[in-house]
Amino acid sequence: MASRVLAQCVRQLPRSSVRLSSGNIALRTAAVPVLFNPRPLSFIASSQRTRWTEQTRISSSVGVFCRQYGDLPPLTIESIKERVMYVLKLYDKINPEKLATSSHFLKDLGLDSLDQVEIIMAMEDEFGFEIPDVEAEKLMSPQDIVQYIADKKDVYE
Amino acid sequence: MANPLRREVRQLYKNLLYLGREYPQGADYFRERLNSAFMKNKDVTDPKEIRKLVDCGEVVIKELGTLYYLREYRTMKKRFYEEELLGLLNIGRPID
Repeated sequence: MASRVLAQCVRQLPRSSVRLSSGNIALRTAAVPVLFNPRPLSFIASSQRTRWTEQTRISSSVGVFCRQYGDLPPLTIESIKERVMYVLKLYDKINPEKLATSSHFLKDLGLDSLDQVEIIMAMEDEFGFEIPDVEAEKLMSPQDIVQYIADKKDVYE
Repeated sequence: MANPLRREVRQLYKNLLYLGREYPQGADYFRERLNSAFMKNKDVTDPKEIRKLVDCGEVVIKELGTLYYLREYRTMKKRFYEEELLGLLNIGRPID
């Protein structure tokens, strides 16, 4: 039924837009011109994969969609450290002046275990993966977090 | 606090924080209330007492889930069902 309707649509098109052999019905049904403006199919978050669709034309009438995948530049130890420190500076219970990469959350910054849970949650949101609670308990300084994320994301010096 | 229970408490806090992001009065309001509720019981050491408090937290999680579900349901009902009902009864909206 659908192919019949499409075939009728194609027959009604001007002759210049259809340059296909009259015998091939499968090609004829696929020859409906597609007006398409390239735009993102799914935009999840800035840190995640973004898909763009672009159109290339074959035989001036058949629209073929080609997906192209893009990603952010690869992580480095420095970029991870910058992002971790940025997130920690935004946390209201941490004094940015006291903050250093080796600062212990409980001893140096005066936080408690619940604050540490909040910090780990903020890191999960920033880097887009879950940190299991068993391992989160051990992350007690920015340096520990940087090292853990680097290990998980396969980032080496 | 025993180590398994400590992990459970941390997990409970984390789950409640995630749920609190959708709280009607705002995530910050919820976070402050949640933190004070946990800090109020920070000196509890008896495992049975901790277990009871964790169970209370689980009930709160269920209540929050129900609250959000009810809010969605009310919104959907308001958006679609009332319009349909007014149309069927041929009643116009009151003039403001």
